[in-house]
Amino acid sequence: MIPFLLRRLWQSLILLAIVSMIGFAILYLAPGGPMSQFAQSAQMSQEDLDRIARQLGLDRTLPVQYWDWLLRMLSGDWGRSFRDNSPVWSVIGSHLRATFELMAVSTLIAIALGCWIGILGAIRRYSIFDMVATVGAMVALSIPTFWFGLIAIYLFSVQLGWLPAGNRQTIGDGSFLDVAHHLIAPALVLALVETAIWARFMRSAMLDVIGQDYIRTARAKGLPEQAVLRGHAMRNALLPLITLAGLQFPTLLGGALVTETVFTWPGMGRLFLDSVEYRDYPVVMGILMFSAVMVLLGSLLADMLYAVADPRIRMG
Amino acid sequence: MTDATGLIDLADTRAGSEHKSAWSRFRRHKLAMAGAATIAILVLGSFLGPYLLPFDDTHIDVMHRFAPPLSGAHVLGTDELGRDILARLMMGGRISLAIGFTAMAIAIAAGTGVGMIAGYYGGIIGSLLMRFVDAILCFPTIFLLLALAALVKPGLLSMTLLIAATSWMNVARIVEAQIRALRDQDYAVAARAMGASSFRIMWRNLLPNAVASIVVAATLNVAKAILLESYVSFLGYGIQPPNASWGNMLNNAQIYLSSAPWLAIMPGLAITLAVTSFNFVGDGLRDALDPRMEIS
Amino acid sequence: MIDSKAGSGTSRREILGLGVGAASLLGGLGSAHAQTRSAVPPQKPRGQVIAGISQEPTVFNPLMPGSEVDQGVWWQLFNPLWSIDPQGRLVADLATEVPSVGNGGLSADGLVWKIKLRKDVKWHDGTPFTAEDVKYTLDLINTPGFRVRNRVGHSLVKEITVVAPDEIHWRMESAYSPYLSILALTFIVPRHILEKAQDPNTAPFNSAPIGTGAFRWGERVAGDHLLLQANPTHHGEGPYLERVVFKYIPDLTMLYTQFRTGQIDYLGLSGISAHFVKEAQGLRGRKLSLSPTAFIEHIALNLEFVPFADKAVREALYLGMNKQARIEALYYGLPVPTESFLPQQSWAYDSSLPAQRHDPAKANALLDAAGWASGSDGIRQKNGVRLEFANSTTVGNPGREQSQQLLMQDWRALGVAMRINNMPGAVIWGEFWQKSKFESVMVGSNFMLGNDPDVTPRFSSKAIPAKAGSGLNTYQYQNPEIDRLLAEGASQFDQAERKATYGKIQKIIRDDLVLLPIYQTVMAEGIKDGLQGFAANINCSSNCWNMRSWFWAS
Repeated sequence: MIPFLLRRLWQSLILLAIVSMIGFAILYLAPGGPMSQFAQSAQMSQEDLDRIARQLGLDRTLPVQYWDWLLRMLSGDWGRSFRDNSPVWSVIGSHLRATFELMAVSTLIAIALGCWIGILGAIRRYSIFDMVATVGAMVALSIPTFWFGLIAIYLFSVQLGWLPAGNRQTIGDGSFLDVAHHLIAPALVLALVETAIWARFMRSAMLDVIGQDYIRTARAKGLPEQAVLRGHAMRNALLPLITLAGLQFPTLLGGALVTETVFTWPGMGRLFLDSVEYRDYPVVMGILMFSAVMVLLGSLLADMLYAVADPRIRMG
Repeated sequence: MTDATGLIDLADTRAGSEHKSAWSRFRRHKLAMAGAATIAILVLGSFLGPYLLPFDDTHIDVMHRFAPPLSGAHVLGTDELGRDILARLMMGGRISLAIGFTAMAIAIAAGTGVGMIAGYYGGIIGSLLMRFVDAILCFPTIFLLLALAALVKPGLLSMTLLIAATSWMNVARIVEAQIRALRDQDYAVAARAMGASSFRIMWRNLLPNAVASIVVAATLNVAKAILLESYVSFLGYGIQPPNASWGNMLNNAQIYLSSAPWLAIMPGLAITLAVTSFNFVGDGLRDALDPRMEIS
Repeated sequence: MIDSKAGSGTSRREILGLGVGAASLLGGLGSAHAQTRSAVPPQKPRGQVIAGISQEPTVFNPLMPGSEVDQGVWWQLFNPLWSIDPQGRLVADLATEVPSVGNGGLSADGLVWKIKLRKDVKWHDGTPFTAEDVKYTLDLINTPGFRVRNRVGHSLVKEITVVAPDEIHWRMESAYSPYLSILALTFIVPRHILEKAQDPNTAPFNSAPIGTGAFRWGERVAGDHLLLQANPTHHGEGPYLERVVFKYIPDLTMLYTQFRTGQIDYLGLSGISAHFVKEAQGLRGRKLSLSPTAFIEHIALNLEFVPFADKAVREALYLGMNKQARIEALYYGLPVPTESFLPQQSWAYDSSLPAQRHDPAKANALLDAAGWASGSDGIRQKNGVRLEFANSTTVGNPGREQSQQLLMQDWRALGVAMRINNMPGAVIWGEFWQKSKFESVMVGSNFMLGNDPDVTPRFSSKAIPAKAGSGLNTYQYQNPEIDRLLAEGASQFDQAERKATYGKIQKIIRDDLVLLPIYQTVMAEGIKDGLQGFAANINCSSNCWNMRSWFWAS
């Protein structure tokens, strides 16, 4: 286990280095820049803009800026946001909770609902339920999430008035009920795609297991069908799901960006969008690095859990 | 958003069906056939339809804005500038489908190229290339797309390239894995012994074995590209006016959701229909071509 | 996005009569005003107002580069020496009176300034406010390493002397009449706090400011909202509200939806999009305020671009533009057609400028006469140059995109080919705009300097950034007569004389069609019933300027 972890860590570090170079190059080589944010907002002449660019160190060459950024990053200083001048890690930190809240709730919904649909679909293969679930899952994967979200707001907030049209909570009211009330719509919208993925995955994992020899053996032994399914099939079908959970992270983060935009959810996705728009390089780089670390952690965790769950897998 | 559909094929090992031709297996997949038919209709409608309509998709008529569907000469009504929605839907279809297919073609070409080189040569070149692929995969697709989209001038070409740039990596991974597994098999070794060039071995001996996986990936990539186009448009960096695409029609319509909901419903349905169809075809192709079966 | 380069969106209207036109435009707010008179503010601060805004306030040091949204927050936290009320009058705030030659605050040549300050003002932490703070503020603005917004006017201030804790004097290097307006938008910062910081650019103050305003810093949830608390020791009127919350809702449609569902009490700063205005007027329990702003929507032409160098082309394009259809249909009759770069509420506005007509026949004749002959594809050309150009604006602005597409069709009828070439804000307002790399741009700009009609940075031949000039003349307009008039206007102190000078400037700019004016922007802001005290103020950078006077009717 230890050598495996060390090797993965080493690989991850190399990956992160490449990630940072790609990210940096994309951002800094592109036209436009953080100066136009100032150009737009106040009466400032070209001289003022040049002066501020110099004060921010933006007049240096790309490799110099990258090297400077890298050294600071390694010493724990992620720089300061160009927009509000606060340290990048605190900017990210302040948006993180909202995103994780949304992601956690929608993942729970998706796993519960998706596994149920998937298992039932596999057991009752080719039944009406299975057919509807299969088509439904595919449509859910194909709907533009934001469109679905907009229609949900139009129906449930504007027309029916049941749910708030976005926001994380009523300002000044942070009670559990209030937060939960605000969470319903965005969590369900984000869970839509996730549920479909889990259902499809679970269904084929179950079908795969059901076709295996030991299930046939168990059946042949005359075990009741329920016991076969619960005892043997499900446990083995759940195994690959662990991997999926780890690998789903980037998709979920991307989906969160869109959902957050539709529902005015003050999370990381929203922050990323704003930061890109304002060319807030330090924050954009911070988020890219942070999400890359999370993605790598996710896949590492998936591998480890899989090894723990299935003793046949040896790490080496 | 459909990132994870690629994952499904890893686990989706269908219990071995009898060996029939791929085509007959595909034909038995009803949903895939329906998908294929829908795609055919959408493509024909988009490319021929505009010639049959009496309306031009960019002709503005501010006196007749927001006409509801079935209320006059305009079958699906008119939009915020009084343009015929059906005409725009068809012209938008051209652009959205063209982006879908072109982005897919570029992504497949790039992914296959990189995967083939990395898989065949292995060693430093191989691991360098694949680490690069891994690094790009570390960015959530939408993040990468947005970072890129905000930086270039929006347009048909840039949009296509952006989408391709964010979707070739999976193809590279699939191809690399296949080629790596195949390169030391007898016939490849034999071909090498007979003095065939590396390129020839890759092209003639190894690649054909990976075609099944590539075709499946290609189909799913078209679906993903159409969806991504709508996301980029929604976030404000899509195809620019006066051209229509399904994505920008949807984006322009969102502000009229309460006063003229049909503006948003039509393109949204078109996108969902097209993407669902491609996904079903991809599913059917996977079942029919089941790559693992061909290899063994 | 609105281009707000001339920043702080103000216009001084010292001639009271001009204010009447503005008042009648307030239309929907008439009833609100009536209620303001009848309702009485509470004895103690009570309740909260949630203001919905589409940009996030992020800059809290009022001397640093900030957007209008940031300025809306500054108005609550800080005070200037004096400010400008909706009628255009200068009203003393931290100063006891506005300096003038009459009261001895200004020397006759405009060079010596003597300001008397209030003695009863305290910073939010209890420290008394003194003349040292004013001196510190002016010094900080001129400190080389400080990331100040700009130094226009301030750089002329010399020999600042604190005469007494409540009196400060300085001398101007040269007479500069707009400085009175500039100071009306310059917020005073606390010396005792900022002095302690090693680097004022990164001082803790910048993210937890301490001011003298009616509200003090509460908390900021980045990406979501900013909460300000009532300051009970405020020296002026109010506050009557316990809390003010600035809620950030980036999407304009969602902003309006939340106003409609009652999640926000006041929708301002960016306003309600034109296509929602009619619906919003019918909402129960909501009021609408329509107030003109200083932003002039126009087509900016790059005069160095060959076809636009020809005045006949500019005239033809202007004649070919169907302004009325644009305003009536696309903007639901909300904005006001204009011919000037100044808002109609400005004392310097010239109402005698010739009105534009939509006359494609005359436009075609003009182009024919100027030698622009129709080519084989229907597009005109002259000496091998096609009458074809790109028009750009910020992506994701539905109103402008519609307007562009209509223009395309308008001008196609003249044999002119216009292409749309839109870009993200961070690209278009960078070098593309600053260094005049565009062909034409659709943009809304506030041309005034502070609230002064001095447009030297916009039209002076020395203000072309692409030609190493210092300013915002991205049109690359050069006219010696304008240069002379601009210099004359900035050194005059008599308002009637200045009005004549700026009248001449407006006539020349209109005649030369340096830019094709479309309309003066009218902003629709939403207010929940029962919220009293809102007063639109075109002279301030934000209609949140007087939140200290807002209260809920009991």
